[in-house]
Amino acid sequence: MRMRRWFVILLPSMIGLALSLLFNLTDLKNPIIYLRADLGTLMFLSGLLISSALGLIIFINQRFRSMEETTAEGAAQDRRRFIQLLDHELKNPLTAILAGIANLSSSEGETRKGSSLDSIRTQVQRLSRLVSDLRKLSDLEIRPLEYSQVNLSEVLREIFELGRSSQTASDRQFNLLLPQAPWPLPEVHGDRDLLFLAFHNLMDNAIKYSQPGDAIELRAREDGNNLVIEVADTGVGIPEDEIELVWTELFRGKAARGVPGSGLGLSLARAIVKRHNGEISIRSRSGQGTVVTMQLPLGL
Amino acid sequence: MKDYPNPLILLVDDEEAITANLAPFLERSGFVVHIATNGEDALDKIHSMQPDLVVLDVLMPKVDGRQALRILRKENNWTPVILLTQVGESAERAMALEEGADDYLNKPFDPHELVARIRSVLRRSRQGQPPLSAAWRLTCGSLIIDRRARRASLEGVELFLTPKALQLLEYLMTHPDEMVSRERLLDVVWGWDYPVGTRAVDTRIAELRHTLGDDASNPRFIETIPGQGYRFSKDVSSLP
Repeated sequence: MRMRRWFVILLPSMIGLALSLLFNLTDLKNPIIYLRADLGTLMFLSGLLISSALGLIIFINQRFRSMEETTAEGAAQDRRRFIQLLDHELKNPLTAILAGIANLSSSEGETRKGSSLDSIRTQVQRLSRLVSDLRKLSDLEIRPLEYSQVNLSEVLREIFELGRSSQTASDRQFNLLLPQAPWPLPEVHGDRDLLFLAFHNLMDNAIKYSQPGDAIELRAREDGNNLVIEVADTGVGIPEDEIELVWTELFRGKAARGVPGSGLGLSLARAIVKRHNGEISIRSRSGQGTVVTMQLPLGL
Repeated sequence: MKDYPNPLILLVDDEEAITANLAPFLERSGFVVHIATNGEDALDKIHSMQPDLVVLDVLMPKVDGRQALRILRKENNWTPVILLTQVGESAERAMALEEGADDYLNKPFDPHELVARIRSVLRRSRQGQPPLSAAWRLTCGSLIIDRRARRASLEGVELFLTPKALQLLEYLMTHPDEMVSRERLLDVVWGWDYPVGTRAVDTRIAELRHTLGDDASNPRFIETIPGQGYRFSKDVSSLP
């Protein structure tokens, strides 16, 4: 961005320099041109020049500042939303733990005690998972990638098998579409474990937000520049007013109530794809299903 | 001062909520427990009580756990130390071992896991001598690992290992003759839970064995304990 601005600023002087060299160093006629003006006109013209220069500077400055302000405002808004969501995610398990403890101190029977303890343990595990996922997300942004040539077909096949044999995925119709002609998927330079994690999260979502009888499709292709991987399902989908929010850390839609998870799965997948200089996007229709598309650049 | 029938543990953490709950648990597990609330206090108590093992939190006021450990090791004091690391990031974990901790555990942890760690460190500790985890170079037969240079060689030939495989080898070699669970190894390499991670550990171990030319059915280095984990050969020693 900044480079281009400098280029625009310097372009006229570059052209001027080139032309001057052209006239001076070649046999082209290089006539001397005299300009004459009365002092009044000169004063007026120089005033005009200074004004326009000043105007331009002020205009650029303001644009710059307002751009900064909007990003700062956006960041503050993101932060507020994140804290709100975190607050929400913490409140429920904490309330359950408090209730469990209250039960524990008033109940006599061993079985009652046992069930209170179990419920407290579950809530603590939920909180630990949340902390662990948050840590994972921050770690992912800085962890050095362990690069190798990754055979994506193999990784996707593994994810497919894992999804199909998952206990919670009963009676879903699984499909895996990998190109064979004219050539199979090329290898991609990346961190195999992290890519596996990203696909796994998306597969996990597809299973979580679909019902028995729904179809889940895992497909990949190559378009010359990118490897395009898609995870699609005919599940519950995401309502239009929530689609923008799914990338927010900890955000969980209405359909996610009662479904276990921390609201960080997509954020984690996005962080991984970004680390591979790729793109990730989501399309969904409420009641019809969802497709997440990842593009990983070839020849990294 | 080793006249206690049970091992004496010094538990160092500035969070009273943690010491107040952990100490009784450790006592029920058969240890005698004393508490220190910061690094300075910990150093004093290590000098006066000579505990058998120190459980040391990293983030503390005044002298933090890492500083305390450094001071202790500089005094040539090799009391076994288990660090309680806060951030679970890979760098943090690597650092814990480099600074002469005998082991580390990420918060939050299961107290049973802490007891298991304490027992295995106590079993491993060589009275008053530096632990293997404080040595830069370790050897087992013709296998040599140089932890600072992040290199390993077998019969003088340098091995090509991925960073994760090297990390695994490092952890196994600093814990010889000890059954290390897959979950623990997963934590070593990742620091956080990873889906179907135990399988990922098996893949890494297979990769490591392949590079080491180790036969799983008749292992020289890494032995599989079915259904539990892995165990490295007991013949590990430190090199100068």
